[in-house]
Amino acid sequence: MSIVQLDHVRKVYGAKVAVEDLSFSIQPGTMFGLLGPNGSGKTSSIRMMIGITLPDSGSVSLFGKPFTRDVLSRVGYLPEERGLYKKMKVLDQLVFLGSLHGLSMAESRRRSIAWCERLEIVEALPKRTEDLSKGMQQKIQFIASLLHDPDLIIMDEPFSGLDPVNAVLLMDTLVDMRRAGKTVLFSTHRMDQVEKLCDGIALIHRGHLVLSGSMAEIKSSYPRYRVHICFDGDDAFLSHPSIASVKRYPGRAEIRLRPSPTLDDDCQALLAAAMLHARILRFEVTQPTLEEIFIEKVQEAKPAKNGAPPPDVTFDDLERQPEEVGLDA
Amino acid sequence: MHNVWLIARREYIERVRTRGFLITTIMIPTIMAGFIFGGVYLGSRESVERQIVVVSSDRQLADDLQAEMQRVPHGDNDSSQSQNQTSQISLRPAARQPRFTVEVMEPSPGLRRLLDRDLDDNQIDGYLWITPATLPGGQPAISYTPRSSSDGAVRTALDAALNRVLLREELAHRGIVSREVDAILQPVQLGSSHESLHHDRASSMISIGILFFVMYFVIMLYGMNVARSIIEEKTSRIFEVLLAAIRPEEMMAGKIIGVGSVGLTQVGIWLTAVLLVAGSSASVNLGGESLHASLTAAQVGYFFVYFLLGYLFYSSIAAALGAMTNSEQELQQLNIFLMLPLIFCFVALGTMLSTPDGVTARVLALIPPFTPLLMYMRVSLGHPHPWEIALSIALMVASIAAIVWVTSRIYRIGVLMYGKRPTPAELMRWLKYS
Repeated sequence: MSIVQLDHVRKVYGAKVAVEDLSFSIQPGTMFGLLGPNGSGKTSSIRMMIGITLPDSGSVSLFGKPFTRDVLSRVGYLPEERGLYKKMKVLDQLVFLGSLHGLSMAESRRRSIAWCERLEIVEALPKRTEDLSKGMQQKIQFIASLLHDPDLIIMDEPFSGLDPVNAVLLMDTLVDMRRAGKTVLFSTHRMDQVEKLCDGIALIHRGHLVLSGSMAEIKSSYPRYRVHICFDGDDAFLSHPSIASVKRYPGRAEIRLRPSPTLDDDCQALLAAAMLHARILRFEVTQPTLEEIFIEKVQEAKPAKNGAPPPDVTFDDLERQPEEVGLDA
Repeated sequence: MHNVWLIARREYIERVRTRGFLITTIMIPTIMAGFIFGGVYLGSRESVERQIVVVSSDRQLADDLQAEMQRVPHGDNDSSQSQNQTSQISLRPAARQPRFTVEVMEPSPGLRRLLDRDLDDNQIDGYLWITPATLPGGQPAISYTPRSSSDGAVRTALDAALNRVLLREELAHRGIVSREVDAILQPVQLGSSHESLHHDRASSMISIGILFFVMYFVIMLYGMNVARSIIEEKTSRIFEVLLAAIRPEEMMAGKIIGVGSVGLTQVGIWLTAVLLVAGSSASVNLGGESLHASLTAAQVGYFFVYFLLGYLFYSSIAAALGAMTNSEQELQQLNIFLMLPLIFCFVALGTMLSTPDGVTARVLALIPPFTPLLMYMRVSLGHPHPWEIALSIALMVASIAAIVWVTSRIYRIGVLMYGKRPTPAELMRWLKYS
């Protein structure tokens, strides 16, 4: 049984198609990443999963049944934008949101305090929400979505706007939840986070599903064609015939090899060529990162109009409003 | 239902706790009381002493007039006290009659110029010049020269006193004993049964006036608060968290009830304060108690029923306006829709008053936006059938439920649209979409 199942979901706002023919499923007890650049339809998809909006066509099932509002008591939701009452005291706010999910006032209060201790923001409890920093408000919102101990946790951009320490704290919390048997879905435009945390992913671009499946499967379907090399000396080896493209940095280079059945041998040949003229400090052969896979997929789906593929497209170029440069990248 | 209660409770507690609530709750009655007492105080300080000179060669006439004029204030005070005892409504503040000091003088050459100078020097407030009749049985020629022509109270009092004196003199001339003269001149008391009938209608009118005013005021203040709080929730994106837990209908209902209760609390506090002040202060003769005494318990009950229904109805419409708009400015442009039905009720007032049981009145009073005011008027002034009252209440309840339902649809979709106000066609589409 899938915890979340989307079947050919389509959603249109006015003239804009937000989501088109989107299907994927999430298995119980896994951590799932919904990936895509800003404006690709992540938030629209999530809103349909929890019934804030309904799909124009297609269907959404939660916990193995077509969506009804009754299951919402088993879902914890963190919206992309902070949705807190600005003037309310933090504790009152948490107690209120907890009781909306069916907790008694006393139980809601007890859990709120316990969670604030766990996420190290006890000092915020008596303060008014508007007096807190953005990151602290984010943590409060995070707690609010977990108070009622939901089986399915859906978080829209949970780590955006957080410093690395707090981002790791929340990631660890989500990992703990997954370990406790909960299903976690979160959206992000940061591929590195997904790569570290997720069991399964869905990549969407302009409302279309580009790639989905388990992380391990996706990665293993890509050969090790990526070479990261640190060196000292002549860089003439970078014109080696096995190389498809190069990103050159001071003292190092990121290389993509040409697809070939003899990829392993090509690597060794490249290493040998490099050693002739330069001192090799590091030579690493890896699978592509999720980011590279994504870019590749997007370019496959939309062949370049001018014939040649644009060189060195990065993930950030695909985003309409690049928002943050990775802190821990 | 539990969720409605939770939303309403939060809304109520958070609003009542604010400093703004405390300030308006205390300040508005304080300022009002300041105006009332200030007015009464200033009125009481107004100079009420009047210095009058009567110039007449007829000493008897002049002395009678002097006696009559100086007697007037006492007589008037007595009657106003007796009015209090029979607990009648007197909406005019305790305006005091001026007290007169009358000096009698014989006419002499140059006296007129002397008196004119006294007038200019503020020594006297006016003089009365009586020239005796040249023919026996004729009227004497009388002229009054006041310092300020606008002092109407003096002229009225002089007029009355002169008439009484002349009448008494005339009657005495015709051989009627002076005791009988007094008996004849005793003012007629209006029958009390007639007066209480009039009084009932008056207090009904006053209660209709109060309902009208309170409705208008509360809707402007708190109906708009409902709309504002919805706009605030839209801009702060809280709706997204709430909609993931509860239904939009529950949210709307909770908001209307919660913000509404704040308004009722505030109005309740003010009314209590007004009644306490009116009850304890004899100087403010607003007659609060006598008003209540004359309204029947049923009327008071209907007052609250129709007020509450009207309040809920208009708050729901305000909620719909809030759900459709994205900012307070946009809301301002739309709030005419709240006011129009109230203004219409005001226009229909004439028909309702003259024929409260006519066809027009009966139909209008059943149309939900007008029901609260117009049906209450019919209950107070006319004789509506019990089924008409029941139907009006049922229609109100049904339309409130319908508006909340429609509003929650608009809200649910409206919150996800940004930037522009929906067109009517879009609104219709939203209603079909659920």
